[in-house]
Amino acid sequence: MSILEVKGFTKSFGDVKVLKGVDFSIEEGEVLAIIGPSGGGKTTLLRCINFLERADGGTLSINDKVIYDGSCPSISDAEIRENRLHLGMVFQQFNLFPQYTALENVTLAPKLSRKWPEDEILERAKDLLARVGLADKMNNYPCELSGGQQQRVAIARALAMQPDILCFDEPTSSLDPEITGEVLRVIKRLAEENTTMVVVTHEMGFAREVADKVIFIDGGVIAECGTPDEIFGNPKSERLRDFLGSIR
Amino acid sequence: MFQTVMAELTIGFGKTIEIFVLTLLGALPLGLIISFGSMSKFKPLKAVVRFMIWVIRGTPLMLQLIVVYYGPGLIFGTNIWGIGNEGRFVAVLAAFIINYAFYFSEIYRGGIESIPKGQYEAGQVLGLTKRQIFFNVVLLQVIKRILPPMGNEIITLVKDTSLARVIAVYEVIWAGQNFIKSAGLIWPLFMTAVYYLAFTGLVQIVLGRIEKKLSYFN
Repeated sequence: MSILEVKGFTKSFGDVKVLKGVDFSIEEGEVLAIIGPSGGGKTTLLRCINFLERADGGTLSINDKVIYDGSCPSISDAEIRENRLHLGMVFQQFNLFPQYTALENVTLAPKLSRKWPEDEILERAKDLLARVGLADKMNNYPCELSGGQQQRVAIARALAMQPDILCFDEPTSSLDPEITGEVLRVIKRLAEENTTMVVVTHEMGFAREVADKVIFIDGGVIAECGTPDEIFGNPKSERLRDFLGSIR
Repeated sequence: MFQTVMAELTIGFGKTIEIFVLTLLGALPLGLIISFGSMSKFKPLKAVVRFMIWVIRGTPLMLQLIVVYYGPGLIFGTNIWGIGNEGRFVAVLAAFIINYAFYFSEIYRGGIESIPKGQYEAGQVLGLTKRQIFFNVVLLQVIKRILPPMGNEIITLVKDTSLARVIAVYEVIWAGQNFIKSAGLIWPLFMTAVYYLAFTGLVQIVLGRIEKKLSYFN
């Protein structure tokens, strides 16, 4: 049973077909890396999975239960809200809430959801911030934190709603090269703790090391998929070889 | 004489402050509601609101005061504002609140539209409702951003209150001007400037405090 299964996702913006039928699935505890050239559709795919865009066609299932069907898009906001909590999302630009401290950023959504008692929310938030190495920064505001620290708060914030699957959209692309490592280490540790993750990334070394499965998206389709060794060690398609060659 | 003048001006200025405070209390929330209308995805509503913004911003407040006060009586044959000073005061408030709410709505709109899309998306993926995203994530950031242009409008309002005399609401300038006729004195009119300066100075200090209070984030 796959924890997440996407079948036949299509998405157009105006006349431009960005996704032309994408299928993939991941199992619990797996890390899926999505790689590919800019404009190939990887971010759009991730945004469709998180309902930030609505796929025009195809289905999305969590634990074999279809929670989104592009052929009947009349799904209510409340339903989307409930279903999307299976998924957490970490953005390229962090998108922390500037008026709240690191700790408040992590506790805001759980508190508003009223799913847990307040003291439990607070304890868990502190624990999460400690896990991303920011126990001593929890009362700082985002503007007082470095990019890498902000991104780690964003990871803790996403985990606070206890998603089944954590998604990352190029989590290190807006960071200085010397601090990408601190964010990648946190993601790697989550992988070691068997967190199910989908990571759109340009960090090929990281994808190779951490991912269980890699999909290469180009031109709105999955051009190739496989284990990191297959994708990076023995690329079959011309396009993937070109892509890997171009970024080395 | 000085004491008589100051007592009279203070009574007039009391009305000025009353108009100022009540207009703000009405126009600040109403402006926010209007800004939602002007950003609505429902085209007819948006068109109506945009049209109203054009009319309200495009005509003098003095004219709007006159229309609001005399219009209902002329059109429906009844004075909906009640009689005497009380009625005129209510009409002044109605005209001021409408006028300022439409101006404020444009400032709100600018502030709301300047908030990055990522803030809304971060709220959405955390399962927040639209209402929660607006009130718990966006609103304070909007307030911080619109404070300087709001400050301009609020200080303009202090001075615009003097227009109330057009429909015979006794405020500070009228009080000052009375002394020209009754006692041949011009300085009481000039003295009203001191009241305005003192009050706008106070408003400026309060706005500065709020701005400083919100400077902990950007």
